[in-house]
Amino acid sequence: MSCKTIDRDLDAYVDRELDVDATRAVREHLVRCEACRGRVAERHALRRLVQSAPYYAAPDRLRARVSALTSRAAMTRRLLTWAAAAALIVTVGGTITLVRSATARPDAIVEAVVDGHVRSLMADHLFDVHSTDQHTVKPWFLGRLDFSPPVADLATIGYPLVGGRLDYLGGRPAAALIYERRQHMINVFVCPAGNELGGAIGVRTVRGFHVHHWTRDGMSFWAVSDLNDRELTEFVRALNAS
Amino acid sequence: MPAQGFEATVLSHLDAAFNFARWLTRNDEEAEDVVQDACVRALRYFSSLRDDDARAWFFTIVRNTWYTRVSRRPVVAGTGSPDGPHGEPFDEAPDPEAQLLQQDTVARVREAIGRLPVEFREVIVLREMEGLSYKEIATVVRVPIGTVMSRLSRARERLLAELKAAADLEALP
Repeated sequence: MSCKTIDRDLDAYVDRELDVDATRAVREHLVRCEACRGRVAERHALRRLVQSAPYYAAPDRLRARVSALTSRAAMTRRLLTWAAAAALIVTVGGTITLVRSATARPDAIVEAVVDGHVRSLMADHLFDVHSTDQHTVKPWFLGRLDFSPPVADLATIGYPLVGGRLDYLGGRPAAALIYERRQHMINVFVCPAGNELGGAIGVRTVRGFHVHHWTRDGMSFWAVSDLNDRELTEFVRALNAS
Repeated sequence: MPAQGFEATVLSHLDAAFNFARWLTRNDEEAEDVVQDACVRALRYFSSLRDDDARAWFFTIVRNTWYTRVSRRPVVAGTGSPDGPHGEPFDEAPDPEAQLLQQDTVARVREAIGRLPVEFREVIVLREMEGLSYKEIATVVRVPIGTVMSRLSRARERLLAELKAAADLEALP
C-alpha cells in the first residue's frame, strides 16, 4: 500500500472508523513508513490540542430558562390532561355538580387561586397576551374561552392592566387578568359563576397572599396578590365599580 | 420518545448543545439564543424522537436553528466567502490583547478553530470535542459519511498547517 492510498484512510484510521481489514492494511504500511507514522502522530497531537481548547458549558441563566420552558410545557400538558379528564367525568356522569363538588370546596378553591398566582410569577408565564390596552386584551380571549370576561383598565387610579392569560381554576378554564401596583402583581381570575362557587368567601389570606372573591353579572372574580390588603381592597372596589 | 422525558433529555445535553452553538456562533449571547430557540423546536418535535440517540438529534436541531438564523441575516457586500454560502460572515479584526494571547497555545488553538470555515469547524467540534462517530456526524450535518471524512481531513490539514506555521508543533509529544 502506498502513501497515496493511505492518505485517503489516515483520518478514518486515527478516528477508529476503518474496518478490520483496512485497519490492518494501514498498520502494515505504518510499520514501513516513517513519514506516515509522523502524520498519524501529528493528528493525535492535534486532537490533544483541540481538546485543550475551551469547552463552553451552558451558563446557569440558560439552564434556568430552559427549565422554565420545559416545566411550563409540562404544566400545560398536565392541565390539558386534567381538562380532558374533567370533561370525561361530566360526559360519563351526566352531571356537572359531581365534578364541581369535588373541586369547588371553598378552601380548595382559595388554595387553587393562590397556587395559580404563585405559578404565574414563578414560571415566567405571567402573560399570554402582554398589553396595557383593554381593547387588545378582551378580544384576545374570544375563541379561547366560552365566556367573555369584563376587562377594565384602572391605570388612572394607579393599577394599570398589564396583560392577560388563559388559566385554570377549579377544573375549568378561567381568564386571568394581570394588574400591577409598584412591582406587585395582581392576578384577577374570572370565570362564569356557579351557585356553589364560594359565595361566602369574601376575603382570605393564605400564605401571605390576600384573596378577594366576589360575583357580579353572573361572573365569579378572584383577585389575589401580595399587595397590602388596604390597597387590594381599594383595587377590588374600583374594579367592581368599573 | 426517550423514557426519561423532555426536560431530563435536553438538560443532560445542554452543555454539549451550548458548546456546539458557541463554536458555531463564536459569541456567547448568540449561542444562548440559538440553544434556547433550539429547545423550543426540540419540545415541538420531541414526541417524534424515536431512537435513543437524543444527543445527535439535539445537535441537529441546534445546528438547523443556527443555520436558519444565519440565512435570515442580511447579506453585507464583500463578506462572501469562497467556502460557500455559510462562510465567514463575522471575522473579528485582531486586537492587541488577542495578539498577546496568541503566545499562549490554548488561545492559538482556539483561534485556529474559530477561523475554520463553519463546515470544517462543526465537524471538528463534533468529532474531537463531542466524540461523535462519522455516522452520527453525517446525521447531524446531513451529508454522506464520505463527505464527513473528507471535511475532517481537510479541517485537520488546515489546523496543522496554521499551527505549524505559528509555532512548534514538533515540540509536542
